[in-house]
Amino acid sequence: MKSSASVSITRRLVVTVLILELLSAATLIAAITVHEWSVQLEIFDTSLVATAESLMGAVQDTEDEGDNVMLDMRGVRLAKDAVFRVEDEGGKVLGSTGEPPHLEASASGAPFFRNIRVSGRDYRFIVLNGTRIVDPGKANGGVRHSIAIIYGTPLRHVWHEVREAVRFFAIATAFLLGITAALMAWLVRKGLSPVHELAYEAERIGPDDWQFHAPESAKKTSELRPLAAALEAALARLQRSFEQQKRFTSDAAHELKTDVAIVKSSLQLLSMRKRTLDEYGQGLELSLEDITRLESTVEKMLTLARLEQPAESCNSSAASQTSSLRDVIADAVHQSKPFAQLKSIEVAVEINANTDVRLPIDSRDALLLCSNILLNALQHSPDGATVRMAVTANDDTARLTVRDQGEGISDEDRDHVFEPFYRGDPSRSRKSGGTGLGLSICKAICERAGGSIEIANDALGGAVVTVALPAKVVASSTLSASLKAE
Amino acid sequence: MRVLLVEDEQRLAENIVAALRETGLAVDHAADGEAGSLLAEQGVYDAIVLDLMLPGKSGQRVLQDLRRRKLHTPVLILTAQESKESIVNLLNAGADDYLSKPFDLGELLARIKALIRRAKGVSTPVLAISDLELNTVQQTVRRRGQVVDLSPTEYRILEYLIHRPRAVVSQRELLEHMYDFDWEHHSNVIEAHISNLRRKLNLAGTEPLIETLRHRGYRLRKEAGSQ
Repeated sequence: MKSSASVSITRRLVVTVLILELLSAATLIAAITVHEWSVQLEIFDTSLVATAESLMGAVQDTEDEGDNVMLDMRGVRLAKDAVFRVEDEGGKVLGSTGEPPHLEASASGAPFFRNIRVSGRDYRFIVLNGTRIVDPGKANGGVRHSIAIIYGTPLRHVWHEVREAVRFFAIATAFLLGITAALMAWLVRKGLSPVHELAYEAERIGPDDWQFHAPESAKKTSELRPLAAALEAALARLQRSFEQQKRFTSDAAHELKTDVAIVKSSLQLLSMRKRTLDEYGQGLELSLEDITRLESTVEKMLTLARLEQPAESCNSSAASQTSSLRDVIADAVHQSKPFAQLKSIEVAVEINANTDVRLPIDSRDALLLCSNILLNALQHSPDGATVRMAVTANDDTARLTVRDQGEGISDEDRDHVFEPFYRGDPSRSRKSGGTGLGLSICKAICERAGGSIEIANDALGGAVVTVALPAKVVASSTLSASLKAE
Repeated sequence: MRVLLVEDEQRLAENIVAALRETGLAVDHAADGEAGSLLAEQGVYDAIVLDLMLPGKSGQRVLQDLRRRKLHTPVLILTAQESKESIVNLLNAGADDYLSKPFDLGELLARIKALIRRAKGVSTPVLAISDLELNTVQQTVRRRGQVVDLSPTEYRILEYLIHRPRAVVSQRELLEHMYDFDWEHHSNVIEAHISNLRRKLNLAGTEPLIETLRHRGYRLRKEAGSQ
């Protein structure tokens, strides 16, 4: 399954989270750098100021008589690599280390800072101007000396601090990223385990085992619930249709095997020993009847198979044909006459004489539909009863009802009566019940034409089959004219 | 020998009945499970041919009920199903044999006869008692190597007696096993057949084979029965 095009949700999620984390870490590090820089610089400046001020404090009265000052470096701690110069107002250097640049004091005399490169190093300097009063206890208030101090230390220290801080955060972030990646991968995998369980369960579905129960874990995961439910529903539907097919195949096989068994046994019985010509003649006649029954079973099965094909796959001329419901009913009644007469059943047809209904079904199928329903009604009618056929039609729908005076239909039968090979009453043998395909064929014809068929109990007793079909109502006169034209 | 056929398919039943009768078996036919059960449980049949898909009561249930009543009549199942499971189930439920539709009529007859033979404790189609030899396939009888020409009913009576050597078989039992419901029968029919049998089998210099026990029935003579 690992193809170059495969997409891993785990990988995507982990990579996305890591990238986001990396971006926020970078932002954080940038912010930290700026902040650290300013903080460190402030500290740096404070220490510059402190040292500069202690330098100022180190400017002492000389021990001689003049009111001169000197720099007493005792007690002054200079930073490493520090450079400074202390001058009095006369430009006399009281003390210095290194070669600090010459910086003009600010006009206001306030201390200020400068970053200057000295002998290849970045330095930060403070320029401090102050006044030192010698002998302040004297009457003239002492001698005032204007002292200028320039003191600087390398900025390297600040850089170092900032770098250290950034390095700490970078390492911490990398560590965090690693942990996140592992944790994410684990969590996502764990989170996706219901998917694997679902897949495992789905994998077990085979042609022999359609049972599918989504694992509890998948049902409890809200993201997976719709998929699990859809899978369950789809498979249940498939299983039902598969089982229907299987049942049909097995029923069809049973039906055909029985018919073939009859034909075979008839012929074998005939050939068991030498017989008279009469016996052969009778035997052949019976065999022919048996074969006719087999033929009719096969034909019905093929009809059903043809009708269950999607309409568009059949030839279009048949699909576009229409038939006259009145003619078809007349044909069906005519066809079933011998059977009706045998049981002394009257077939009453109620149909509007002035209009006709054209069905979007070719006349062969329409006749099959009507005669099957009629035959079913006749089969379930007691001797001497009446079967009523009635047609009602509105603009686009025709309704054919066929009522018999039999025992009606049980609820259980009603649910199954249109299934192939279903014979309502199990005590009815094949002989009286036919192959059990008649009503299935009716249903297939109706559904193919976009109509419906149902069976119910009549209020007056007996069963009533109602067929609803899309139809076009035409005046009877134009119909007969068009028929003549044909 | 009397066979019960339980089969709802009218034409198939007609053919099987005709074929069984032609081979000299008495046959009763039931067209549904209820009737089949009722007949089978009388216990007079030497074999039962049972269709599975029956209206009313399924063949499987007929078989189960029969075995529950401790009736061990051999049962051959006719089925249109061929799944291994259903066949295993049937055999476990007490069926002795099965045939799938469409079957060969000749095979059906042979299997029924084999079932009957086996149920009587015989495994070859040629039964021999003393100097009497009965071939159940060709339906011929020889005594001391000489062919004895018997009518179908006489043959059947002899076959039945040979299947139960040394046992006393009553007239009633013979009637039950020789004739199906379609035949008119009276008890003196058996007597007449037995006397014909005796006459035909009684060749010069041989011992009489069939012994009559008053009010009890018939049996093959003891010394004749010892093979």
